[in-house]
Amino acid sequence: MKLIDPHIHCISRTTDDYQFMARCGVVAVSEPAFWAGFDRSSASSFADYFRHLTDVEPARAAHYGIQHYSWLCINAKEAENVPLAREVIRLIPPLLDHPRVLGIGEIGLNKNTANEIMIFEEQVDLAADHDQLILIHTPHLQDKHKGTAIIVNILKNDRRIDPQRILIDHCEEHTIRMAREAGFWCGLTIYPQSKLTPERGVDILEQFGPDRLCVNSASDWGESGPHTLIDTLLEYRRRGHAEQDAAEIFYNNPCRFFGQCPKWKAKAEIRNPKPE
Amino acid sequence: MPDSKEMLDQTLLEMRRRCLSLAADLDRLDRAGKNGSDPRLRQIRDALAVLLESTPNRVERILLIFSDKTPPPPHGKK
Repeated sequence: MKLIDPHIHCISRTTDDYQFMARCGVVAVSEPAFWAGFDRSSASSFADYFRHLTDVEPARAAHYGIQHYSWLCINAKEAENVPLAREVIRLIPPLLDHPRVLGIGEIGLNKNTANEIMIFEEQVDLAADHDQLILIHTPHLQDKHKGTAIIVNILKNDRRIDPQRILIDHCEEHTIRMAREAGFWCGLTIYPQSKLTPERGVDILEQFGPDRLCVNSASDWGESGPHTLIDTLLEYRRRGHAEQDAAEIFYNNPCRFFGQCPKWKAKAEIRNPKPE
Repeated sequence: MPDSKEMLDQTLLEMRRRCLSLAADLDRLDRAGKNGSDPRLRQIRDALAVLLESTPNRVERILLIFSDKTPPPPHGKK
């Protein structure tokens, strides 16, 4: 089966991870801009980071037969520094035509502060002004429920926003309902220490169905790995679900969401269509 | 889909392991001294109480126990 990891920070991963993904059938990934594990000292660090995301990592991935796409933004954590955030935002518009850039992301909130909310809204403006897809980061742990509610409320009340062009990521049992009921795509991140386990991810898939749901590993510099995507597929199969249903979740759905950007090449595939 | 007996057959040992692991965590905390007033431990005890209930959506209710319930900061486009 062909697979897509719709959210992975390849900059933090080894070549072993690329080999592992290729061996497991991962044919494409998307990498949102995020916090590097430390606060960067200037906007020029982000200029280099964006070059890494748009030029270096796609070449690295291609070596393993994997298509690599990216998303650009100032992440929620460093958005607390408003002057730096605005400097970084000014770097983005000239890069939006890059053939590997799918949109603005992962924007969102970290500790749900007024500064983070202000910069989040400014990046929603950036996406709306340039007709870009948006990938949303929802906060961690105790901040997730409140932050997701703030984000959903802002986006629902913005008339420029088409919810089908936004994916709200890192949803869990207490936040997925509010994101789905507002019509957004949702991401399930299999990152057992702070987000979902494969078992809980499949529980959510069974309860909500595959429509507008994507599963990702969000592998980064923390305790994570591209194997969590595969573990979730194996758990889904272990419970007896059909291969076509698995293909919908692990390949077709990312193609449908990302495919709204014409730069995304892979197409959803329907196997064994039912006769009319 | 496996039925509930098959599911229990598959997961019982793992559930037992998790129960014992939490029990050992609590015993270890006790041995380290009294900390009953720590609000984080109160959250753990509230979460454990949810596990004993027989109503559904336990995960969602436990996640809400561990969630910040303060109101959002004032915001809105200037």
